[in-house]
Formats: sequence, structure tokens, C-alpha cells
Amino acid sequence: MAGAIIENMSTKKLVIVGVILLLFQAFAFMVGGLIAPSPTTAVHYLATKCVDKVKKPQQTKWFMPWGEKKCVNIQSFDEAMAKGIEANNIVFAVHIPLPNKEMSPWFQFMLVILQFDIAFKMYNQIADGALVHIDVGLAYRDDMNSEWTEMAHSLEQRKLSCNFTATKTHENEGRHYECDLLPFMEVGSVAHKYYLLNIRLPVNERKKINVGIGEIKDIRLVGIHQNGGFTKVWFAMKTFLTPSILIIMIWYWRRITLMSRPPVLLEKVILALGISMTFINIPVEWFSVGFNWTWMLLFGDIRQGIFYSMLLSFWIIFCGEHLMDQTERNRFSIYWKQVGPIVFGSFCLFIFDMCERGVQLKNPFYSIWASDIGTELAMAFIIVAGICACLYFLFLCFMVFQVFRNISGKRMSLPAMSKARQLHYEGLIFRFKFLMLVTLACAALTVIFFIISQVNEGHWHRGEHMVQVNSAFFTGIYGMWNLYVFAIMFLYAPSHKHYGDEQSSIQCITGDAGVNSCEDIQPTTTITHVDGPTEIYKMIGQEAQE
Amino acid sequence: MLDGHLLLGWLSFTVIVYLLNLPGPTIAYFGLTGNEPLSVLPLNSLPEESIGRAHFKLCDRLKLEKKQRRMCRRDPGVAETLREAITMSALECQYQFRFERWNCTLEGRHRANILKRGFKETAFLYAISSAGLTHAMAKACSAGRMERCTCDEAPDLENRKAWQWGGCGDNLKYANKFVKDFLGKRSNKDLRARVDMHNTNVGMKVIKAGVETTCKCHGVSGSCTVQTCWRQLQPFHEIGKQLKQRYETSVKVGSSTNEATGEGEISTGRNQQQQQQQQQQPLPGLNDQIPRTMDLLHIEDSPSFCRPTKYSPGTAARKCYKDKNCDAICCGRGHNTQSREVTRPCQCQVRWCCYVECKQCTQREEVYTCKG
Repeated sequence: MAGAIIENMSTKKLVIVGVILLLFQAFAFMVGGLIAPSPTTAVHYLATKCVDKVKKPQQTKWFMPWGEKKCVNIQSFDEAMAKGIEANNIVFAVHIPLPNKEMSPWFQFMLVILQFDIAFKMYNQIADGALVHIDVGLAYRDDMNSEWTEMAHSLEQRKLSCNFTATKTHENEGRHYECDLLPFMEVGSVAHKYYLLNIRLPVNERKKINVGIGEIKDIRLVGIHQNGGFTKVWFAMKTFLTPSILIIMIWYWRRITLMSRPPVLLEKVILALGISMTFINIPVEWFSVGFNWTWMLLFGDIRQGIFYSMLLSFWIIFCGEHLMDQTERNRFSIYWKQVGPIVFGSFCLFIFDMCERGVQLKNPFYSIWASDIGTELAMAFIIVAGICACLYFLFLCFMVFQVFRNISGKRMSLPAMSKARQLHYEGLIFRFKFLMLVTLACAALTVIFFIISQVNEGHWHRGEHMVQVNSAFFTGIYGMWNLYVFAIMFLYAPSHKHYGDEQSSIQCITGDAGVNSCEDIQPTTTITHVDGPTEIYKMIGQEAQE
Repeated sequence: MLDGHLLLGWLSFTVIVYLLNLPGPTIAYFGLTGNEPLSVLPLNSLPEESIGRAHFKLCDRLKLEKKQRRMCRRDPGVAETLREAITMSALECQYQFRFERWNCTLEGRHRANILKRGFKETAFLYAISSAGLTHAMAKACSAGRMERCTCDEAPDLENRKAWQWGGCGDNLKYANKFVKDFLGKRSNKDLRARVDMHNTNVGMKVIKAGVETTCKCHGVSGSCTVQTCWRQLQPFHEIGKQLKQRYETSVKVGSSTNEATGEGEISTGRNQQQQQQQQQQPLPGLNDQIPRTMDLLHIEDSPSFCRPTKYSPGTAARKCYKDKNCDAICCGRGHNTQSREVTRPCQCQVRWCCYVECKQCTQREEVYTCKG
């Protein structure tokens, strides 16, 4: 058959398709850059130091940092010292969001980072490997006047990794340590309007809890959430992309089934790629606006993981099927060596993700990085996944190299071949080179935009307009891979033109009478006879013969 | 042409005379540079009142200008923040100058008299007070003490929409804007006023320059495909330290009165020639004459601060550290040595907050004070 649409399409039509796809691509970038706001917002919070009753500390009461029911608070700990307030009576209160604002389900997720302001004191330095024990409670409410409802409560440990840049002398007392950011909390859905965090740092000298953590001056939090506007644009994009990929997928599969032969491996893989793309596209996130589904974040990760592993597998199989050597392929089991690392690597990442985000479904304050064993485990998973990725790329590069070697070999012998075989190989080479080029372009674009979005401060000013580079990166790249899958399904679908030819050729073979007359149109059969199965399409011919 | 010069010179001369006769500093700035006594200190002396318009009273006590009072009354959080800003800059100033002859005495007429002149110390006061205000404002924002903060100005509904759509600007931007509004941009022809303005701006710029950008990756499995960055202020101690360095390298902007025209000439020591050439043209907008640097500027040399003057109480009876600064502080008058028994806490066991358990150690200590 050898008749994918891409080979039989005239150059003019191909250019038109390319231009249309490019237009959509530009549109995707523009949607992100011009309509959407930046993807995420970080908000600073400075914890208010509330004073619990000195005599009898209450555990259940919630402390508000501001507003009508503001807690009794102190400005600094010098004040506490004078009033005889102890560490166990101090509650750090943070209300998310800031006054006059409210959270919304459109924010999708919320993660909070913890930072300690610790002053250097000669007699109260941070001990080596100091651990902070944090007693933290999270509560929510949906209107300003109702009571707080507890959402989570946990006793957490975080490792303080601080260093003091100046020399540790009396003169430098009072200067602050430079401490690493500590992951604090992650919530997978923002279903409520107001959140309240109450943090205590209880001291227990006998158990050595919170001893040697230096002179804490302040606790600062940074809350990160997705911007509502970005979520809306993102959902709109997904909602638009889902049917387009779905339609092309159905169209593609109908074409495949219309043929009398069973679909070959490559065709199945392309379909699988389409399915995984649709899976990622389906805007189930719409539900997160109405329901309090905290697992959405994890689910999103899984969907992305499936798509990435599918895409990587697709590249391997595509290369393999265009290898043009003498081995028999068309079976998935041939590729276990190459696909194995992908599966294993993504499995590792899945386990890691389950350990982090999976546990966070139960305890939003959990972090795998907080404990030593957890850190080692997480590192192990990531390193294994990294090794798998390296292995994969080695395989892929090797395969691409092989294909090119075979191509140049075939090029040499092309003039000696019959016209039909020549056409067939040229088609094969063209198909491969085309995909190679497009894939490389897509990958390069992804990398370039990634770098641009990292280097830039997130937005460019163009006169009065502000271009959100980060958002443009997300929508543009997402749109690009969608278009990529779309283009593959469209261009690599069997063509109608040859489709008819093939039927006739198969008829030739089965008829067995007009082999010679068919030879010119359909080279596969002859090649099968001459030098055994050289590549998949000959196999089809053979199968059809049988 | 000559007439123009004369006129201009005469004008500036009268302005200077006029300003010199004014009571208090020429521009009512705020904080350490304002003309109110710093009686609002210490912070804790005020009863905590959160009902109604308690903050109005506080705003009135701060002796603000009309516009500043309006800004103060607009939000109950502002008054408290202003008070905190004053404390913060005052404490930092005293901390930074604890080993100097001028130890940032803020009370009484000394400060007011320094503000009337153009010393290095004046420059520092202006810079630290604007820096303190910016810092305190940004902090108050993130503590939720202000009712309107980052998504400012817009009416309530739009405000909420803006927040839901794309978040708000960061608190530092807001603080900067607020301080600029609060201290006001005055186009002033008087050299000293312009130098003060410049020094105020230096304070804000130092804060801005000290901002660090911190990022957090939170993409798939915590990868850096999604990254959020935010800007973070340096601790105020660091700002104070930087300003102190700038105080030490402060640039003198000379104002020599030309006999012929009586024109006030401004030139930095470095590029006097160039500046003088610029002086040839009559300048309607005198703004260009202040070099656009991050250096602090002063007009006149500081007094020695050794003897009691109207600028300082002098260094008599000041405590000093032998081999370190006694010679400098005591201005060569020598020092008294006193030997005392001091009971000091030592071998302390400190918890993170508010509790120190120490042994009491008795030591013999020498205390040095400057001779009168």
C-alpha cells in the first residue's frame, strides 16, 4: 500500500495544511500571551503572633490574625519576654487570603511555603541538623461570620537548613540567617473561601523538641495558587481541543478499519497516542469547580505521565518500523527493550508522585522531603527515572542513527531499483524525514520556550499590552503537542488514492493470475518474493496472500 | 542674559533666606525627618483600640500633612504601620551609629537642628526613614494589617474580579507606590530640599535593589515545568547596614555662592568642571544638577559632635570601647576607666521564644567613659 496521506498529497495541499496548523499554533500562543494572566500567583503572608491564654492553653480555639475577632497579639518576642509569655502560648496565625479577598475553586490548587526569620545570637545559635517540630492546624469557612471548621491537623517536622554568611561574632548579632524554603502544605482543590492556619512551635526540653532552633523572629509563608483567569483560559482550550482530537481520531480509525487488512502496529500506536492525548484533553477539571475533589492534582499528573510515556513509545516504534532492515517487526514485543525503560521510569515517577501527592490527599502538610529516609527514597526514585530517561534517549538516538544509515544505503541502490520500489522507498524515507523534522522542531520549540519563560521575569511589556510569557509557554506548548498529534493522525492515515490501488493489488495477488501486471503498481509482493520480508508493508502483503 | 542671571540668583537667595527663617525643617517629611517629636514611641505604650475610628486619633497624633493625614485615615492599618516604621528606623539608626560620635540622638531639638542643615547625618536620616516606611508598609501588607493593599484603587467588585482573574501585584510594588505618594513628589528649587528628596529616594532605591527573587518549582512531580517566583525583601538590618555604608561614602554637593551672580552652584567633587559648564546656561528645571546616583548627598561638612552643640549633646560621659573607638569618640579628651563588678547571665539555655535560663556569673569589668 505505502499510501499514507502525506505521500499522496500534493505539495500545495501539504503547504496549506502546514499553514493552517501554524496559524492555530500562533493562535495558541496568543491566547496564553494576550488573554490569560500569568499562570500562578504568589502571595506573601506574615504570621501574626497570637497569644494563647497564659494559664491554660486551648488547643481547639482558632486564632484570627486580623478582623473583628482578632486575637490578642504581640509585635515582637521582646514584648513576650516582658509579659512572661512562653513559647507554648504563642500561636502563629495566618489567614489565607489577605483581607477583602476570597479564594475560589478556580484557583485549582494551593501550596504554601514556609520561611523562618531567625536572628543570630551568640548564645542561641541554630544547632547542627536542627529539626523544627510544627504543630499545625488548617481550618476553613465560607462566610466571614461562621465558625471555623477544622480541615487538617498535624504534627510535622522540618529540617532547618540555614547558614549564616557573616562571621559569628557579637557584632553580627541580630542579623538573619539565610534559610532554605521549606515545603509546608499542598491542597489539591480550593473549595472554600477562607482558610486559616494556626502554627505552634511547642517546646519540650526533656524530649529535646524545638530546642536549638535559634531565635525565631518571624514566620513567613508564601501561598501559591493558579490564577483564576489562567484556569478559565486553560479549560476553554481543553474544551475546544477535546472534540477536535476526538473527531480526527475517529476519522483515522474508520479509515484503518475500512481497509481489508488488519491494522499494523504503527497504526495502533498512533491511535494509542491519540487516545492518550484525548485523555489529557478531556476537561474533567470542570468538575473541580463544583466538587471538592482534592485528587485532581494527582489525576492530572497521572494523565500527563501516560501521555508522555505514550509519546516516547511512539517515537521508538515509529523509528523501528522505518528501520528498513531485514528483521521482522510489527509486534510490540520486539520493542520491550526500548519501551521497558519508559514504562519503568514512569512507574518510578508514579510511585514517587503517589508518595508525595497521594499522601497529601490525607495530610496536606506531608512532604516526602521532610524526613531523611523520605528524601533518600525520593532521590532514589528520581535517579532511577533519570537513568531510564538516559537509556531511552540512547536507544532512540541509536535507532535514528540506524535509520539514517539505512536510508543512505538505500539511496545508493535506489537508481538500480524498479520504478515502483523506488517510489516506495522514497515514500518511506520522506515519511520518516518529515516526522523527524516536525518532532525535532516541536522539541526545540518546547525547549526554547521553556528557557525563555524561565529567563524572563514572566511578562514582556509591549506598549500598553503586557505579554504573559509564562502563560504563552503553557498554552502554546500544549497547543503544539495537540497539533502534533492531530497532524500525525491526519497525515499518516491511509490515503484513499492508494487505498483503491491496494485493494486491486491484493486482488491481483489472490487472483494469482496477473502477478506480473500488478507488480508495477504494488511492489510489496514482488519484494517479498525476492528478498524476503524487508519491512512491514511487505508483511501485509504476505499476510494477505496467506 | 546677565539680568536673567541676576534675577535668578536673587530669587534663589531670597528663597534660601526665607527658608532659613522657617521654623522646623523645610519640608515636613515623615518619621525621623518629620517635625513631630517622636513621642509616639515606644510602640507598646498605646492601648490597643480596634473599634471605630481609633486610628484617627493616632493619625492626628502623628502630626501629618494634609495629604498624609488623608492617606493615614483612609485605612486603619496605616496609622499603626506608620508608627512601626518610625520605631523601626529609629532603632536601626541607633543600632548603626552605636559606635559613632553622633549616636543618632533623636530626642528633642538636636534632631530638628540636624534636619535644618545638610550634613551627612541629615542624609542618613532621610534615607533611613523612607526605607523604614517602605519596609514597614510591605510587611504590614503581608501581615494583613492593611485593608486595601495590593489590589488597590479599584472599586470593591472590580478589585475582587481582578484578584480572581490574575491575582494582585506584589506588596513591595504597593509599598513603593504608597511611600512615593505619601512623601510626595515636590518639585523644589531649593537645593537642600532637592538633596533631601534625593536622599529620601535613595532610601527607597536601596530597598528596591536589595530585593531577592526566590522561585519554587511545582510542576508534575515537583519538576520545574511550572515555576513561581516572588520577590522578597531583605531584613531591615541589612538595609540599615547598606545605608550606613552609603553614609560613609556620601558625596558632597557643594553650594558655593558666586559673588558676581549670587547664583547657587551645585557640583559634586568629582566632576566639578563638567558641572560648572552646565551651570553656564540658566536652568529652569534645576533638577538635572543632582547627580543621578545611588549615593547619599550632603551639602555641608558635619560638625564634630564632640562638644554639646545644638546638633548633639556631645560625647562627654559616653560609653566607649577601649582600643576600638575610645579615641575617636572622646575626641582626644581621654577617657575615664571605671572598674565594676557586673553580674551577667552566662551559659544560657535558650528556647526559641521568651525563655532564657542562665547562670549568673559575676565578672569584673572595666567600663570606659569619655571625659567631659
